[in-house]
Amino acid sequence: MNKKNLVFIIPIFTALLASLFASKLPDTLETLAINYGFEDKAKETFSLFSGYSFPFVENHHASTFIAGIIGLVILYILFKITTTAIRSLAK
Amino acid sequence: MHIPDGFLNNNLAGGLLAGSVGMLGYCLSKILKTVPVASRVLTNNVSGTGIDSHLGFSENANKYFQKLALIALWVFAFQMFNIPVKSATSAHLLGGAFAAILAGPFAGFAIISFVLITQSLFFSDGGILALGANIFNMAFIGSFLSYYAYKSFSRRIHCLGVFIACFFSVMTASLICLLELGLSGSIMFSTAFKDMMNLHLGVACLETLITLALIKAFRSINGQSNE
Repeated sequence: MNKKNLVFIIPIFTALLASLFASKLPDTLETLAINYGFEDKAKETFSLFSGYSFPFVENHHASTFIAGIIGLVILYILFKITTTAIRSLAK
Repeated sequence: MHIPDGFLNNNLAGGLLAGSVGMLGYCLSKILKTVPVASRVLTNNVSGTGIDSHLGFSENANKYFQKLALIALWVFAFQMFNIPVKSATSAHLLGGAFAAILAGPFAGFAIISFVLITQSLFFSDGGILALGANIFNMAFIGSFLSYYAYKSFSRRIHCLGVFIACFFSVMTASLICLLELGLSGSIMFSTAFKDMMNLHLGVACLETLITLALIKAFRSINGQSNE
């Protein structure tokens, strides 16, 4: 396999594995908040793919995988925009 | 370790957000200086009447920016993967050491900041007002502390450098996180100190193992990279 493609395939494959096998247990900060009784202070903020789920897909694994792929695309676009901005600033 | 909105008081969260935005701007300007951005690229013009010159990225600079984007994609994907570390607790890669060792502290800071911004705005992973605190804890400490720790110890053994970088960056980030929560009145610093450190010992070990594997994989696929 072309190495150039592999650097893109690994994060996509990792997103797939994360959608299938990632632990649903609370993370360290959530655990601390639960143990010390301040988890209710957390304010829910609205976002399109809240909790790494794609809103129009019922299947949890597929929903997480699609949300992950969208996240990768957003991040890549963000970097492209920044690179373009730096290029125009440099002129 | 993504702090949601509501855990920190607004003054502290706002101050850290302002500081993080300023730091991100500074790091982007440092990245700009490290790459030969304004190298002159000579190209034949389309009409073929002569040689036209214009400012643009050199090929090396384009490769450098491509590498930063790829590191960000890897960090984002591996942060999705929560692994159980203790009973009823999970953790994921923070990625600061991975990004800083491969790209340098300034680029590492920018990479982790972009990942955190994406997670906060589109996935509700970490609050929007708390974004500054998350950037400070995971991007600033994660990149700068781990980079200089790695540089100090990696001359003898690469693995030792990575271990020290990961261990100190994770433990310091968790300590600062606890301090922020304590200053905001969410928790008593002294009461929760032992629990917070205990919880993050597992995270530090996990961070070391994943970072070692990712650095090896990234370098073998993308080539030995310079900062």
